[in-house]
Amino acid sequence: MTHFLLVRVGTALATMALLSAALFLATDALPGDAAGTAAGADATAGERAELRERLGLDRPVVERYLAWLGDSLTGDLGRSAAAGRPVGEMLASRFGSSVLLVATAVACIAVAATVLGLLAGLRSGRPVDRLVSSGTVTLLALPEFLLATALLAVFAHGAGLLPAVSLIPLGDSPWQHPQALVLPVASLFLAGVGIATRLLRAAVATAAESPAVEQARLSGERGPRLAWSYVLPAAAPAVQGLAVTTAGLLGGSLVVETLFNYPGVGSELARAVAYRDTAVVQGFGLALAGTALLVLLLGDLVSGLLDVRSRSASATGLRGERRLR
Amino acid sequence: MTRSGPRRLLLVLLVLLTALALIGPWLPLSSPTERIAAPFQPPGAGHLLGTDFLGRDVLARTAHGGRTLLLQALAATALGSAVGLLIGTLAGLARRGPLTWLLRLVDGVAAVPGLLVVLLTAAGSPGSDLAVLVAVTLVSVPFSVRVIGTATARLTELGYVRTALARGDGRLDVARRDILPNIAREAWAEAGLRFIAATQLCATAGFLGLGAPAPEANWGRLVRENAAGAAAQPWATLAPAFLLVLLALGTTLLADRLTAPARPQHPPQRTPS
Repeated sequence: MTHFLLVRVGTALATMALLSAALFLATDALPGDAAGTAAGADATAGERAELRERLGLDRPVVERYLAWLGDSLTGDLGRSAAAGRPVGEMLASRFGSSVLLVATAVACIAVAATVLGLLAGLRSGRPVDRLVSSGTVTLLALPEFLLATALLAVFAHGAGLLPAVSLIPLGDSPWQHPQALVLPVASLFLAGVGIATRLLRAAVATAAESPAVEQARLSGERGPRLAWSYVLPAAAPAVQGLAVTTAGLLGGSLVVETLFNYPGVGSELARAVAYRDTAVVQGFGLALAGTALLVLLLGDLVSGLLDVRSRSASATGLRGERRLR
Repeated sequence: MTRSGPRRLLLVLLVLLTALALIGPWLPLSSPTERIAAPFQPPGAGHLLGTDFLGRDVLARTAHGGRTLLLQALAATALGSAVGLLIGTLAGLARRGPLTWLLRLVDGVAAVPGLLVVLLTAAGSPGSDLAVLVAVTLVSVPFSVRVIGTATARLTELGYVRTALARGDGRLDVARRDILPNIAREAWAEAGLRFIAATQLCATAGFLGLGAPAPEANWGRLVRENAAGAAAQPWATLAPAFLLVLLALGTTLLADRLTAPARPQHPPQRTPS
């Protein structure tokens, strides 16, 4: 178990290091860097050089990366070029809204995926399974922005039932304006429910074949009780699937928040990318990637703990489908 | 499972769609950037699908909007698969050392949301279609490496591969002669899945405004631009959205059929003891 923990945490840290380096390289070291943008189009070469020196851009890339990483880890994410505010402060004011959005969607997905996954997995091959499976394939195939735009067109522009833009007064939490949450949450729900149901259905179908469930069935357990007390615990490691879905929704929130103008991390990140607000891109990107990795790590650990088969075993086969040898 | 009839129809539709998207910009239509009428006009003479939010011809813009998307997705899939095959087979053949660690790292990277990676890597060079292509390839590579690596690792223990390695054949030679022919099916299926994901990512990149800037037509961007007027002029949104749905669903269903026979639908029955 200790080995398993160490390997998982080590992998997550190494991934984070790799991602942060890629992020830094992409935003800071490429031609047309921050100095060019900040100095303006008609700055002379001398002015640019001076600005580069002042911003510290003349130091080697590795040195700047390490300095940036050190600052970021100690909580100093720099200052937004557009807003003039510290990035950490902007992040703090928006993080809660995004967490609220994604968490609400994940809660809905968890319930729906459990019900649908049990329905389909326990009747594998029968009409209800085929219906659920074709539904999930359809949802999986469609990009988030099409689903979100369809909801927007039908419910906001067409029927006029819900607001098209999440107008949330400054300082208010989205929680105080539930009507602004409905469409963004519904979009994320549709974007994630397909993959989550599919993963859970597979786990349930496998669990339903296990000797324990067969034994329970033979002793007369059936219906919801069989599903709840015997199948679901055996399929519990599928919680990792929910973690994968959640991480995916953090990506999807970029699209959904931008489309609905929801005041979260994703919409601000997309805006910062468009305006080349480097400090915000780096800080917000790091925060989103870190959150995604943390969610995945937690899902991995919880799923490892819940997996009855490997409680006594060491690090073997905890992530069956991910294991390479 | 399905008869070959619907599958063939799907294939024909997809080929037609691809051909239309590729030759679209050469079709004798009006200019995709010229304003020809008032904004959000319903379909009529001169503009068969109506006009968009700036009064441009929706038909012309839709015809222009698919080529970049398809070429980006195809190129990203080809590049990603090539890199994935190279690294995947070599890492799969290695029993220990840095390459096996690489596979672990690849696992971690593959779990990061692709859209985030695309947004952050394309952030450095805004307005560039090439940057989107590179970013989508970067997302695609870890998945290919993982699948090819797993498939290769399964073969590595087999007698003829061990013999070849023990004989002193180079890793690359073994990968090419002994491994590749035996994992071709998995490699093709994986490329199909990568293409689907790449199409989605490229379309979403267009939707978010990455890639070539504004007057350029792009199905993802067309949906975004015209969504606000969908009640007045639905065709401006529906036309590109419909083509995207057709592309996404068509490729997904086709890939589902391609990969389905490879593995059994149900887990194999346990032998009675």
